[in-house]
Amino acid sequence: MTASAAFRLDRVSVTFNGTAAMHEVDLSIAPGEAVAFVGPSGAGKTTFLRLLNATQRPTGGCVRVDGRCLGTLSSKELRALRSRIGFVRQDLALVPNVRVIHNVLAGRLGRMGLLQSLRAMTFPSQAMSMAAHEILERVGIGEKLYERTDTLSGGQQQRVAIARALCQQPTALLADEPVSSVDPARARDTVALLTRISRAEGLTLCMSIHNVELAREFFPRLVGLRGGRVAFDDAPDAIDAAQLADLYRLSAAEMLADGA
Amino acid sequence: MSDRAVAVRALHAARPRSTYVRWSMIGFAALTTWAWWAGDFDVADFLSPRRMANLERFLGEVRPYPLHGRPWDWGVAWHWAATMFTDGVRARAFELPSGAEAMAVTLAISVAAIVLAGIGGALAAFPAARTFATPQPFLPGSDRSKAFQRRAWGALLHGTRGLLVFMRSIPEYVWAYLLIGMLGISAWPAVLALTIHNTGILGKLDAETVENLSPRSLAALRSVGATRRQVAAVGAVPAALSRFLLYFFYRWETCVREATVLGMLGIASLGYALSEARVRDRYDDMLFYVLLGAVLVLIGDLVSAIARGIVRRSA
Repeated sequence: MTASAAFRLDRVSVTFNGTAAMHEVDLSIAPGEAVAFVGPSGAGKTTFLRLLNATQRPTGGCVRVDGRCLGTLSSKELRALRSRIGFVRQDLALVPNVRVIHNVLAGRLGRMGLLQSLRAMTFPSQAMSMAAHEILERVGIGEKLYERTDTLSGGQQQRVAIARALCQQPTALLADEPVSSVDPARARDTVALLTRISRAEGLTLCMSIHNVELAREFFPRLVGLRGGRVAFDDAPDAIDAAQLADLYRLSAAEMLADGA
Repeated sequence: MSDRAVAVRALHAARPRSTYVRWSMIGFAALTTWAWWAGDFDVADFLSPRRMANLERFLGEVRPYPLHGRPWDWGVAWHWAATMFTDGVRARAFELPSGAEAMAVTLAISVAAIVLAGIGGALAAFPAARTFATPQPFLPGSDRSKAFQRRAWGALLHGTRGLLVFMRSIPEYVWAYLLIGMLGISAWPAVLALTIHNTGILGKLDAETVENLSPRSLAALRSVGATRRQVAAVGAVPAALSRFLLYFFYRWETCVREATVLGMLGIASLGYALSEARVRDRYDDMLFYVLLGAVLVLIGDLVSAIARGIVRRSA
């Protein structure tokens, strides 16, 4: 079992060109915890996840991973940290015209030198091929190892993206609306897969998700975000319909604004 | 060997492979070898003493004339360059145009040519676009055209495309050569040569842009009753305009370069001044025109890059 990451936000604010995307948020996530982030478009879910893997700098406050404040780390330390945090995006961001194995092994790039990565991207060693196969089997598509990535179905490609994140040997998995553009059955399947794997490996899992029903079903903790603030943070059973309705209530201005 | 190793090996053996990629790699290697062998590139000859002596003489000659056999002086060199730029050379036996004049003619040729080619290309784009050159554009479900109508539109499509291919398949230099024969020496052959070649290129690029436009919004215009021409004018042109402009400026860059080269055929651009200086053995003046051409191309590239940046950001 790999070590798992703990996250803590201390009065974190993020401002984009004068508009506040996150306002003095305090939150902590224990190692191995699974947390779902819900809330309307533009509530700050993506910003939140980007803070956790240090791809977004807070404009105020401090993001701590395993107790260390990210602002104090050198760029080398940040790279090492990012290499251990898996990120699964809605648009998958796979390289379409290479074989699946190369997309999976790309998860290791953060810990490889240039020559090593060139080798992994051309003639991977047997050990690497076997590692990639093992990970693909865990997400259920071991036989696709040498297929061209863009010949796979949407659901299979999503599994490749998850395999790439797992190949990082992560301490945490972050998933940014991984199921917002797939049909309900496949969405359920993917959320189940991610929560099952995280639990089995003891990984911390943070997922932003629009589907509140799925979040309630699979996650022991729900965080509602609205306008860059935490609206609620509780177990699904403790959250009532009025709170949820409040979360998604649109103001006239929001109704006309573009979602982020 | 573990089960997994066996499984991975089996998957590797059964991996989908592209024979096309493999054969093109082999073909590429073979072609490179052949080119080196058939071209007879002799490295020893390239560095022969005779060539070296030639090179030395050339380097002596390109030194500005007032500085021949004298130590280098920036002031003198600058004065010489300034005179070349404003006055050129007025010797008893011959004249060389001023740098400013040659530069202006080169620029004028390139601008005139690209404006004509831009208009021609944009107009040709529609009959050359598969989505427009069809009996019932964007509403295939309502198509009740006869076979001869489909053939007529097909003929227009392929006719336009064929014409564009023909226009761009002949290099500017060759077009200019032919046109000088027809029209005599003036700036027109250069302008028309660049126009013809670039209309061929812009027509193709613009047609591809038009074909790649979102068919839904254009179909929506059709379904409110717009004609083919109305869809083109009101829907397609605004949507494609930024791409058209990107290609327009990109080709203008090449027009500036080519306008210089075409001067070597006797049209009064920088190329003419350059070849004229060479014929008179004025290597220093020749180098001046060469550098002036480089400056002009640099300015052209810069202006084009800025314009394209603005277009891209506003698109």
